[in-house]
Amino acid sequence: MIESRIVSVIAWGVVVFLMAPLIVVIGGSFTESAYVAFPPQGFSLKWYVQLLERKDFFTSFKESLVIGVAATLGAVGLGVPAAIGLSRGPFWGRGFLKAFVMSPIVLPTVITGIALLQFYRMIDSALPLTQIVIGHIVITVPYILRTVGAGLQLLPPNIEEAAESLGAGRIRTLLKVTLPSIAPSVLVGTIFVFIISFDQVTISIFLSSADAMPLPIRIYSYIEFAIDPMVAAVSTVLILFSYLLVVVLERAFGLDRVFGGGTGR
Amino acid sequence: MAAASISEAARRRRQIERTLYLAPSIAFLLIFIVLPYLAVFRMSFNTFSPMRLFVESFTFDNYVGVLSDPYYYSLIFRTLLLGTTVTLATLVLGLPLALKIAASGRRMKSLLMALVLSPLLINLVVRTYAWLVVLGDKGLINEFLLGTDLAASPIRLTGSFFSVWLGLTHITLPLMVLSLVGVLEKLDRRVFEAATSLGAGEWFILRRVTLPLVMPGIGAGALLVFCFTVSAFITPALLGGSRVGTVSTVIFEKFTYSMNWPVGSALVFVLLIINMGVIWLHGRIFGEHA
Repeated sequence: MIESRIVSVIAWGVVVFLMAPLIVVIGGSFTESAYVAFPPQGFSLKWYVQLLERKDFFTSFKESLVIGVAATLGAVGLGVPAAIGLSRGPFWGRGFLKAFVMSPIVLPTVITGIALLQFYRMIDSALPLTQIVIGHIVITVPYILRTVGAGLQLLPPNIEEAAESLGAGRIRTLLKVTLPSIAPSVLVGTIFVFIISFDQVTISIFLSSADAMPLPIRIYSYIEFAIDPMVAAVSTVLILFSYLLVVVLERAFGLDRVFGGGTGR
Repeated sequence: MAAASISEAARRRRQIERTLYLAPSIAFLLIFIVLPYLAVFRMSFNTFSPMRLFVESFTFDNYVGVLSDPYYYSLIFRTLLLGTTVTLATLVLGLPLALKIAASGRRMKSLLMALVLSPLLINLVVRTYAWLVVLGDKGLINEFLLGTDLAASPIRLTGSFFSVWLGLTHITLPLMVLSLVGVLEKLDRRVFEAATSLGAGEWFILRRVTLPLVMPGIGAGALLVFCFTVSAFITPALLGGSRVGTVSTVIFEKFTYSMNWPVGSALVFVLLIINMGVIWLHGRIFGEHA
């Protein structure tokens, strides 16, 4: 393959371009100055202390967790049965139904967000948190379908018939054979969906209000007015949170299964 | 006969079971995807009314207005230009990195992949904020320029096409690199050995062997990056401000501040058609399997 010097130099330049802004944010969060400076001027944790005193950020963090858990439960509750149903094929309209359940991935999130916003206004809905949760479920069901669908494909083809011919009923087969065998892919899908929900911005921004504002939207509305180092501090916390999550997942499952599971790679 | 009716009963039972499994998710999506989209579609034919939000009607005026008004015309053009230039930039920057990753040994490859993947783990708002820190009026570049007396007053770098372009290039670059690496990894190395043994130079191989083989990866990456860019909201909103609107940010404005739902809805379908058009074009060029 090409091992030319030039390619190598450009490649490292691109890596620096990718990482530089993030390093600036992390470094700048420790500055003593009133604006983000890099390299930081002095060393201080005062912006982290200020962050701890912000109740609104803490409330948003809690809301993000609640939304994440609720959306994950919803997406798993809808997606796992859907994946099982679609695996009991072939039947008429299966391809269409599968494409239909997968469609939220293809539709631009910004449009789905707007459509839901207008829909909620038309039906005069006043359930701030639930509205966001529903938006998150809509766009994450396809991910469950993907990971669990891939898990189901790996099952021995006649395992359910085998269980039944040995005398297990349909429900017993589902609980004792099918579900335990797809448990790993359900778990991977669950984690994946929680991360997507916790990170979600585009849907959330349309559905957020003063009554329900997940953390990324809180940061967004804050930096519309100020870009002081406190945002660098909360960003650093979020960056560390993401990396920590990935390290834990890597230790527990191996990254290939978390990110490669069912994505067709 | 008995066996036939049993299998008939079993078939019926399977059908009912399947319906029970699929019904909840399909009902959910019918209510929260199909209905809202249909409502927006219907809204795009209504007439805007400053007093009553909108008047029920059936007119194509919103579409005609959006496609003939120079303001919207330049808005759509700017959005498409953004999509095209960001896609090209990610390709130019991503290809050398992808080639380097594919040619690296195991350890170097893991390191580079981790570096490429890590921005994807970071929240979109945080990644956009990072560029505000670098480009802002009190940002790093301006601090440097002022500190070295290269500029007397801060240069306005945010709120421009350039800042939106830069931010979106940075955010979508990992998607392009991943698509390219995915294809490069599957290539048969013997092709390159054959080309080398036949006397081809490195640049000749890059142009005549690697690039044609990596085309499916370029297509997949370009599709991802283009669709992400033309539909992006957060980054243009924060880095472009009100001066550099894109279709998404103006849709948001129509549905919130100016409350002009009918025109906003027409813009929604313009954006949807752009997305579907690109997906269709990609299918035509790269076929079903791309």
